[in-house]
Amino acid sequence: MVRRRRRQEKEAAPVAPAAAPPSSEDDEAPEELSFGTARAEAEAERKLVGEAARRHRELLKEKRRRRQELFAEQKRRKLLPEALLQELAAAPPARADERSPAAAPDKRPQGVSAKQNEGRIPGQVKKDKAGGTRSKGNYIAVHLKDENLTGLHQQTAKDFIHSQLYGPGTNRTSANEFFSIANKKDLVKKAAVQFVDKSWGLEKKQRATKFTKYWVARKVTNTL
Amino acid sequence: MGEFEVHRVRFFGLVPAGVRCMAYQHNGRRLALARTDGAVEVYNFAANYYMEKAIPGHQTRSVEALCWAAGERLFGAGLSGDITEYDLERLRPARAVDGFGGPIWSMAANNDGTRLAIGCEDGSVKLFQVVPGGGVQFEKNLDRQKGRVLCLSWHPSGTHLAAGSIDFIRVLDVHSGRTAQRIMVNCHVPKSKKRECVVWSIAFLSSGTVISSDSFGRVQFWDWERGTLQDSHTVSSSAALSLAVSEKEDSIVVGTSAGATYQFQLLPVKAGGQEKRWVRTKPFQHHTHDVRAVVHTPTALISGGLDAQLVIRPLMEKVQKKGYDAALRKFTLPHRRLVSCARKARLLLFQFSQHLELWRLGSTNKTGKDGETLPLSRMPEHLLQLKSKGPEHIYCSCVSPCGSWIAYSTASRFHLYRVQHEGDSISVKKVPGVPKLLLPAYQLQCASDSGRLFIASDRGSVHVVQLLEPGGCKHLHTLRPPAGTREAVYLLASSADGNWLAAVSGDWEVHVYSLKHFKHHCTVPTYSCAVTALAIHPTTNNLFISYSDQQLFEFSIPEKQYTAWSRAVQNSGLHKLWLERDSPITHIAFNPKNTSQVLLHDVYMLCVLDKSLPCPQPLPDDSAVLVNQSTLKQLSEPARRRQLHAFKICKKFQPLLFADLLDERCLVTVERPALDISAQLPPPVQQKKFGT
Repeated sequence: MVRRRRRQEKEAAPVAPAAAPPSSEDDEAPEELSFGTARAEAEAERKLVGEAARRHRELLKEKRRRRQELFAEQKRRKLLPEALLQELAAAPPARADERSPAAAPDKRPQGVSAKQNEGRIPGQVKKDKAGGTRSKGNYIAVHLKDENLTGLHQQTAKDFIHSQLYGPGTNRTSANEFFSIANKKDLVKKAAVQFVDKSWGLEKKQRATKFTKYWVARKVTNTL
Repeated sequence: MGEFEVHRVRFFGLVPAGVRCMAYQHNGRRLALARTDGAVEVYNFAANYYMEKAIPGHQTRSVEALCWAAGERLFGAGLSGDITEYDLERLRPARAVDGFGGPIWSMAANNDGTRLAIGCEDGSVKLFQVVPGGGVQFEKNLDRQKGRVLCLSWHPSGTHLAAGSIDFIRVLDVHSGRTAQRIMVNCHVPKSKKRECVVWSIAFLSSGTVISSDSFGRVQFWDWERGTLQDSHTVSSSAALSLAVSEKEDSIVVGTSAGATYQFQLLPVKAGGQEKRWVRTKPFQHHTHDVRAVVHTPTALISGGLDAQLVIRPLMEKVQKKGYDAALRKFTLPHRRLVSCARKARLLLFQFSQHLELWRLGSTNKTGKDGETLPLSRMPEHLLQLKSKGPEHIYCSCVSPCGSWIAYSTASRFHLYRVQHEGDSISVKKVPGVPKLLLPAYQLQCASDSGRLFIASDRGSVHVVQLLEPGGCKHLHTLRPPAGTREAVYLLASSADGNWLAAVSGDWEVHVYSLKHFKHHCTVPTYSCAVTALAIHPTTNNLFISYSDQQLFEFSIPEKQYTAWSRAVQNSGLHKLWLERDSPITHIAFNPKNTSQVLLHDVYMLCVLDKSLPCPQPLPDDSAVLVNQSTLKQLSEPARRRQLHAFKICKKFQPLLFADLLDERCLVTVERPALDISAQLPPPVQQKKFGT
C-alpha cells in the first residue's frame, strides 16, 4: 500500500514541479525527474534537432543541384551549334592569309572568339548601311602594309631622341615661361606672353557662337 | 600720294618647322638645309643668300643627315632607313636605296665625294659608292658593335672613320673594316651624375685628333692612336648637339641645347711659339632653342635651330672689306609666297604644309585720320579649311580673283575645287576630270578674269588649263621654252588682258609667252641673280622684275626691251640702304588707277614705288635719306617737293608675309609676329636667371 502510494506520489510529484517552472529564488535542489520522462524528453529533442539538420541538408542539396543545372545551361549556351563548329573548322585558311605571318597565331584565336561572340547574340539585328553612307564609328581603318617593322624601328628611334632631348634629365621649361622671363625682370613688370590661354572654355565659346547663329537665323525666318 | 585703309591680318598661324641638319657645298657656295618635317631647302649664297629651291616635306619622312657628293648631287638619309638622292631639277626625292640597317642616324661623304658612309641603328657602319649615272651602290659593311651609331666623320685622307655611339667612340679602318680603336667616353664624370653619355657629334682632323661633343655638354679632344684624352672643355650644362670644323682645321663651332654656339680656335700658347692649344674664343646666343646643325664656312659660322631660324654670322677677321658682307643674317620666314589674295571677293587663302585656310576679310564703315585704328563692323571670317589627303605636303596653291576656284598641288596629286558663295556661307565641290599632267605643279596662277589656270611644271613648261563655268576644266596648251631646259618653273605672272604670260625657271631665265597664239614671244636678258618676284602691269604690259640682289628691272613686253625708266635707274644705281636689305621681295602689285605706282614688300618693309618721281641718289656724301616718310610729313609743301623721291617705305608692319592692294584705297598686310611663332615652339631649356 505504501509502495503504490509512493509510486503515485512519485508520478504526481514530477508532474507538479514539471508544470510549475522552477523558481530561481529557491535554493532548492533541482527537481527529480523520473527516468522515463527524461528519456522521452531527450528523444523529443533529438528528433527536433534531427529534423532541423535534415531540412538544412535538404536545402543545401537543393542549392547545389540548382547551381549545377545553371552551369550546364551556360556551358550549353557557350558552345556553338554543331553545324557552325564544323563550318569553322573548314574555313580558317581564308582569314589567315590576310594577316601577316608574324601575327597569324595571335589573330586566329581572337578571330574565332569574335565569331563566337557574334554567335552568342543572335537576337541583335545589325543595322544595314547603304553603300555610300559611313557611320562615325569608333574604329580606325589602317593599311596593314604600313604597320610593319620599319614603323616600329622609327618609333623606337623617335622615342630615343625625344627622351634624350626632352626626357626627365633635361632642364626644360615651357615656351610661355621662357619668353616671359624678360617681362618679369623688367623695371615695369608686365604680364606673361601667353597670359590667357586660348583653349580655356573653347567648347563653351564654340557652342555659344553656334547658338547665336541659330537664334539669329530663327529670328530672321520668324520675322519674314 | 594717297591714303590707304589697311587690313592688318595677324591670324595666319604659320609655324615654320625647326632646322634639323645642314650641308655646305664648298665650290658651288650652296647650303642644303633639312627641316624636322622632312622639307629640304637649298640656299644660294652667291645670289645673296636666296632660297632658290624648296622640296616640301612628307609626313613619314624624317631627314637625319644631308651631304653633297660628286659635285652637285644631294643625298639625304633618315629614320626610314633609306638613302635618298634628291632631284634638284624636278624638286623631288629621286631614288631611295635601303640601307638594311634600320633607321640611319648619320651619313658622311669622303673628301672626293665618291663614297658615303652611313651609321645605322643596329650599330653597323656601311659604305656605299656613289654611282656616276645616279644613285648609290652598296660596297661593304664595316665592323658592327652593339649601340646605335649617332655620328660619323671621315679622316681627310679617307682611310679611317670615326663613329660616335652611346658611351663610346670607335675608329674604324676603312680598308680592313675592323675597329682600330675603341674609346670609352663616360669615364670622367662624377659618380653622382653617372648616366649614359650620348656622343651627339664627332669630327676627325688630319692630325689624328678626334673631337667629340656629348650630352653632358663637353667638347673633348682625343688622340685616336693612343686612345687618350688630350683636352676637355665643358661648354654648357645642357647637351652639346652639333659640331663643325673649318676647312683649315684651326677653328670649330659647337652648338648646344640652350641655343648658344661657341667657337674654338687652335691658338699658340705663347705668341709666336710652336705649341698650340684649342681655346674657346667666342660665345654667341642667336637662338632660343636647341641648335641641331652648325656649318663652318671659310668666312662665316652658320647655325640652324629648332626655333626655325637660320643664322649666318660672318667672322670679322675673315671679312675682307667693311660692308654689308659683315652683317648678321637671320632667316625665319620662308622666301616664298604662302598667301594668295582674291581681290574682288576680298578673300585670303593661307597655305600651310598640310592644309589650306580660306578667310574673308572684315570690313569697317568708319573713316579716320592717319595712324588711327578703325573699329570693325564685320569680323574676319574663317570660311573654309581644306585638308590635303595623304602624307605629302602641299607644293603650291592659289585662289582665283573672283574667289570661286581654289587649286593646290602635292607631289603626286592635283586638286581643283569650285567654291559657290551663297550669301554669307559657301559650298565647295571638287572638280572631277582634272587633266593628267606631269606632277607636281611648282606654281599655280589664275588669270585675272578667272577663266584660265596656269600650272608651272618641270623642264620649263607651263600648262594652260581653261576653267569652265559650272565646274569643269580643259587642258588647252603646254608652253615650252625654245631652247629647252632641265629645271622647273617656279614663278609665274600673267597680264590683266590675258595676252601675256611670264615664267621663270630654275636656271634664272625669264621667258614671255603670247597667250593669243600660244607661242614663245621673247626672253628677258640673262642676269646673274635669281628672280624673286615678277608681275605684269595691267595697262602698259611692262614686266616688273625684282632680283635677289635687290635690283629692280622693268621690261617692256610689246617692245621686247628694257624701258627708259629701268635704264635710268640702272645708270644712277639704287640707294645703298635699299641694296643692303636682308630679305627678298616676294610680291609685286600695281595700283589699278595710277599707272606709275608699284607696291613691293619684303619681310621688314612695305614700299610704294612712284615711277614718276626721281630715285634717291646713292652718292655717299650727298645721300638722300631712303626712309623719309616721317620727316616729309612734318615739312611744308615746297620743302616736301624738293625732298620727295620715288621710294615710299613704311616699316610699320613687320614681319610681313604678304601685302597687296585690294583696290585703290585699300591695302591688306599679313603679318606674323615673332612672339606668336615663339609661343608655339617646343619647350626650350630653362635659363635660370637671378631673381626669378
